[in-house]
Formats: sequence, structure tokens, C-alpha cells
Amino acid sequence: MSNAILVVGGGFSGLTAALEAAELGHDVFLVEKSPWLGGRVAQLSKYFPKLCPPSCGLEIQFQRIRKNPRITCLTLAEVVGLAGKKGDYTARVRLSPRHTAAHNVDFSLLAQTLDGETKSEFNLGLSSRKALYKAMPFAYPARWVLDPDTLTRADAARVAGNRFLEINEGPREIELSVGAIIVATGWRPYAMRNLVNLGGGDIANCISNMQMERLASSFGPTGGKIVRPSDGRAPLSVGFVQCAGSRDQNHLGYCSYICCMATFKQCLYLAEQSPNTRITVFYIDLRAPGRYVKVLEKVQALPNVTFIKGKVAEAQAIEGDRVRLTCEDAIRGEKLSLDFDLAVLATGMQPSLAGQDLPLPLPLDEDGFVAGGEKAGIFACGCARMPLDVTRSAQSGTAAALKAVQTVKGR
Amino acid sequence: MAQMTLHTDPAFTRELMEAGGSDLKKCFQCATCSVACPLSPEVAPYPRKEMVWASWGLKEKLAADVDLWLCHNCGNCSDLCPRGAKPAEMMSAARNMIYRDLTPPAIVGKWMSSCKGLPWLFGIPAVLWLVVWWIRAGFNDGNWFPRAADGRIVFGQIFYGDYTIDPIFMLTFFGALAILAWGCTRLWSMFKPEGSLLVLGPKQCWLKILWQVLFEEVVTGRKFDDCADGPATGVPQESRRVSHTMLVWSFGILALVTTIVAIGHWGGKVLPCILIETPMPLTFPVKVLANIGAILLLVALALLTWRRARLNPKYQSSSYYDWYLLGIIWLVAVTGMFSQVFRLMDCIHSAFIVYYLHLVFVWMLFAYAPWSKLGHFVYRVAAMVYVRMYGRS
Repeated sequence: MSNAILVVGGGFSGLTAALEAAELGHDVFLVEKSPWLGGRVAQLSKYFPKLCPPSCGLEIQFQRIRKNPRITCLTLAEVVGLAGKKGDYTARVRLSPRHTAAHNVDFSLLAQTLDGETKSEFNLGLSSRKALYKAMPFAYPARWVLDPDTLTRADAARVAGNRFLEINEGPREIELSVGAIIVATGWRPYAMRNLVNLGGGDIANCISNMQMERLASSFGPTGGKIVRPSDGRAPLSVGFVQCAGSRDQNHLGYCSYICCMATFKQCLYLAEQSPNTRITVFYIDLRAPGRYVKVLEKVQALPNVTFIKGKVAEAQAIEGDRVRLTCEDAIRGEKLSLDFDLAVLATGMQPSLAGQDLPLPLPLDEDGFVAGGEKAGIFACGCARMPLDVTRSAQSGTAAALKAVQTVKGR
Repeated sequence: MAQMTLHTDPAFTRELMEAGGSDLKKCFQCATCSVACPLSPEVAPYPRKEMVWASWGLKEKLAADVDLWLCHNCGNCSDLCPRGAKPAEMMSAARNMIYRDLTPPAIVGKWMSSCKGLPWLFGIPAVLWLVVWWIRAGFNDGNWFPRAADGRIVFGQIFYGDYTIDPIFMLTFFGALAILAWGCTRLWSMFKPEGSLLVLGPKQCWLKILWQVLFEEVVTGRKFDDCADGPATGVPQESRRVSHTMLVWSFGILALVTTIVAIGHWGGKVLPCILIETPMPLTFPVKVLANIGAILLLVALALLTWRRARLNPKYQSSSYYDWYLLGIIWLVAVTGMFSQVFRLMDCIHSAFIVYYLHLVFVWMLFAYAPWSKLGHFVYRVAAMVYVRMYGRS
């Protein structure tokens, strides 16, 4: 029997759940697959409702985690097996090697000397990173990671013998005894390669909305300048393709909830950076839930933003690395082919668990969202359950924490 | 503001759903389909507008819509449709409903719309040819399976061309043709917008345009290639050009052969030098051509049937009209081939019975053509001619 709670996933809902449970006096194991906490929110340039940078909310959470001795934070860690029953689980967790010392050593000088590069996962392929890297300035834990696969032979010689690096560190497995589990595995942007009629990700200046966030981010690949990936030039015309994969039985059968708002937000980024940029938003329906309608009104009032009711059904690369988007304006009943310097696909949220081989006894619905599991003391929150914005993710994290606490308490 | 009242007809929508457009109400008007369709024009593209008319039950709008007939049913729209509303199926169902009611006798249209009408459809020619057989058996001393004087099997002994087959089929053929022509005129009058239509530039005679359509589109099957030019759908699709063009060619060849034989036969009575006697020897050029046509027909049928059998029901399915036409052409082809085979094998009973069935099926193919998918081929050509007359291609 254990009163500890396992939280799987260190994104915004997982962080919140872990903190709430820990602050109620429970031991919490926070297991995160990537090297740092923060999840998708950390990749955003700004987030709702106040359009502040993610550092503002995340840093508070990181601070609370740092100060709370009840939380054990395991990064580069994955749950690989689960045995036992509600109230008495044994979770097997595999820890991938980080190859760097346990304290926060600044490797930036050493990293600069390395040659080997690979696409940055954090920047969604918009830039490259070295073998020794830290994704963002305020990363937590503030430890660097060494990825031996990206080391060239020369690099290997350079890092060899560094006493803060452990190149031979191997993976290991630990067992955690917990009473309840919170699943906060979050989401991934729907893969553009599946959207074959929209270029399948092969059009240079046709990016996803999450890539747009990285472009707009002050610590992103361009230092916050929204430019075309092909030539680094600021786009004079931008087309937003809504429902790129969402509300589509061939892709994601549901509305991803946030993509309209993400696009409005990105319209505001663009309007702030280059007020002359002509923006066109192609939509089926504009969905600005609740008070967010104010943001929609703000965007509609911008002089250079046009809304066209009609889903883009074809995107093509044309001369000058421009993108031609074709839709039918359903209000006027006219087919339109418009050319843009940059096209942004508002790709939807796919639950990270979709198509995965789960180590947990968790029922998923046909889309990959968690549907149930509560009887077994396993509670899902955040976008593992349904598409949510950050505020609601946090709320669902609190809710899951409360349910988990009730499961382990009073026995 | 001008007031406009929409007269919706939910019963029509339900009927359309039963006729094959069962998923049309799933449409949420995203307009993907209009872009997915490579044939659809820039202004007032289809099939999005048809989908909204269908779900509102605006029957008159659909009846007056020429675009309905320009669709070649490639299924791109259904492949890309995010809702699985299958616009292609709705368009095809609407076409079926329109030609069902387009021409009298209305009862035939009703029989043709579901398998419940099959007994009637089969019964009429079955009785007709049985009566012919019975009368002609009387001429052969009551022998229902007579042989010619030299011992060969000659179908003309019973189904004597001059007095039985030719007049019945000529009546049937030209009757069906007349009904189709009438249907085309009705269709054109339905397409015509109210008021007068201003046409800029030189006007062309419809016959000339028909000629263009037949040679540029029908014979080449070009539109089926255009069909493949839409946005990538990620759903594997095979071109129907080869199979459809083969079918058109085989029909053309068989029609040509029939015409030659008819001219040779009837013309031979006036000009003995062009006389053609049936059955023709296997090496006779006209016979060779006929058999080439028959083989083409069988191959095309096999390809088309194979394709239909493999359609992914998530995107496309086959309606009763599709299977009726495929089925009846199969029966015509198979009974045609087998009556020749049995005749050459000298199986007299099988030969006559199969030939009798062949006549029944051929009659069904011709007589019911205006209400079958074959009729929609004619109506589509009529629609293509119509739009070309008004400057669209």
C-alpha cells in the first residue's frame, strides 16, 4: 500500500496535478519523457488568456516544484510497466541517460565547439541543435543533455574526459510504489505529412501553427522574428488554414478546440511585427469559446485581416517559394486560388497516446483520448483527456489531483 | 430588403437519402468538395451548393442544375470530405432520381429504381419473345427447336430477322431513342434559367457542339483523366479511363456491326451485291469485328465490375443503378457469347434457350435505357452540349 501519487507527463496539467497533490501532503513522482518540464506550453510564444510568454506561468510552477520536497521529478523517464491494483501499484520506470552531471553545469562554451548537428525537436525542425544542448533558457531542470548519436568523431574527442559528462552512462530501470496514477501525457501537433492535399509537409513555406509559435518566440530559432523558413524574409502575405486535419474523419474526427484561438493569437503577433502584412484566414466556423470572443473581435477589427469561409482543400508550392491555397468561398460560391508568402496550417491536437502501445491498463477512445480508468485509480487530465486550452488543462490537473488524493487517502 | 422564402421539402431529402445519398446530412458546408473536384468551374462550383440544396430539399434547384450532370463521379470529393457526407453519392442519387421521373411511362422509371421492379422488367420481354417463339414454332410444324435444311442450327428459323427481330428491335431502339431525345429536351428546358439569356460571341448549332463533345470527350474518355487531376487525396484511385473508353468503343463497334448487318440484309434485297447472310462465317471481317467488340466488352465489364467490387465503402459505394446496368450488360454479353458457343457445339436446346434469353436481355438493355445508367450517359452528353452552347467547356 502506498499513499504516493504517480504523475505521468510534465506538461502544464501534469505540473499542476503534481503540485496540488504534493501541496496536500502526498509524495508525488513526476515522470517526464523529455529532458525538461513544461511540455507544449514551453514551446509557445505567448499563451492565453493574457497573451503573456510561457515563462511567466511555467516559472511559477517550476519554483513551486523546486521548493516542494515531496515532489520527485524524473525527466527522460518513461513508465514501461505497471503491476498491482488501485492503492497498491508498482510502476516500472525506465530512465534514459542524460550523460551530464547531476548539478547544473553550464556547457554553452563546450557546446559551441561541437560540429555535429541535428534538427531541433523543440523548435520543430526549424533550426538545428548540437549534441550538447538545452532547449530553452529557463528550462527546468536547468541541466543540459548530451545526445551521443549527434556527436561526430571529432566531437567525441572533444567531450571525452570532461568530468561533468558521463558518455558511458546507460539506461536503468527503477520501481515506484504508488497508490494512484495521474495520466497527463498531453498531445502532439497532428503530423503535416498526413495532410497530402495540403502539401504533406513538403512545401517550404507552409508551416504548422506550432512552428509559427517557435518563430514568434523570443528564444526561438529567429529570435522572435516571423520570417519565411526558405529565405528568412518577412512575409507580406500570410494565409491561415483552419481545421488542417481537425473535424475530419480522415484525420482527427473532432474539433481541436484551440486552433482558432491560436490563429487569432498569431494574427496579433503578425499585426504587431509587420502591420502591413496581409492576412487571410480560411475557416469552416470560427470558434472563440466564452470570453475569448473578445480576441476574435480584436482580430476582426485589424485592417489587414480577411476571413474567408471555406476550407482550404489544396495547397501547392509555386514560384518564389510562395504557397497557393485553393478553397471555395462558400458565401460567394466562387473558387479562390490565392498566393501567399507564408501559409500556416492550423494543425490540430492529437493525443500523445494515440497509436501507442500503453503500459497502463487504460481504455482509449477511437481518437486516442483516455476514456475511463478511474475505477482503477488512474485519472487522466489535460489534453490526454480532451483538447483543452492551458487554463482548462490546469483546472483538469487540479481535478485529477483531487481524485487521486481521494483514492489514496483514508484507507 | 427583398424577402425570399425557401420552400424546403424534407420528404425530397429523405427520398434522396434512400436513393443513395444516405450520408448527405453529414455535410457541414466546408466546401472541400468543390476544390477536390477537378471538373468543377471557378464560378458557382459544385458539389457544395448541391449538397446544401439536397439537405434543404430544394428539388427545383437540383432539377435545374446542369452541374449535376457534368460530374463524372471520380469520387475525389468523397475521398477528401471530412465528414463522410459522400457528395459523389448524393450527386449520383440525384441524377438517378431525375431521370427516373424525366420521361413517361413513369411506371418504368419506378420499376427501374429498385430490384422490386425486376419481375416486371424481365417479364415483359420474356412474354414478348415467348409469343414470338410460339408463333414461329407453329411455322416449323410445332417444332420449338428446329434445324435448317442442312442440319445446322440457325436462330433465324425461329427468331426470323425480317418479321420478328428487326421490327421489334427497330421499334424498341427508335422508341428508346425518341424517349431519350424527349428527355434531353426536357432536361434542357429545365436547365434554362427564367427570362432570357444573353450569349456573347458567335452562337453555334447544337449539332456541331454535339459532334465536338462526342469526339473530344466521349471517344477519348478525356474527362476521366481530368478527374485524376484533383488535389492529392491520399486515397489510392485507379483511372477509369481505360475501362470506360473500352466500353464505349465496344458499344460503338457492336452498334456498327449491327448497322452493317442491317444494311447488308435489308439493302441486299435491293442491291444484291451488298447482301450479307447470317450466320456469318467466323472469318468474315464483319464477324471478326463483332467478336473483337464482344471481347472488348467482356474485358471492360470485368474491369468495371472488379473495380466496383473493391470500392472502399468508407468513401464510395455502388447503387442499384450501377449494378443493374453492369448486370444487364454482363447478361447480354454472356448469353450472346454462349448462344454462339452452343450453336457451334450443336447443342440445339441450350442454344435456342440461351439465344432467347439473349434477346430478352438485349431488349431490356435497349427498352429501359432511358431509365438506366445508360440513359444518364446520354443525359450527361446533353448537359455537356448545353454548357458548351453557353460558353463553358
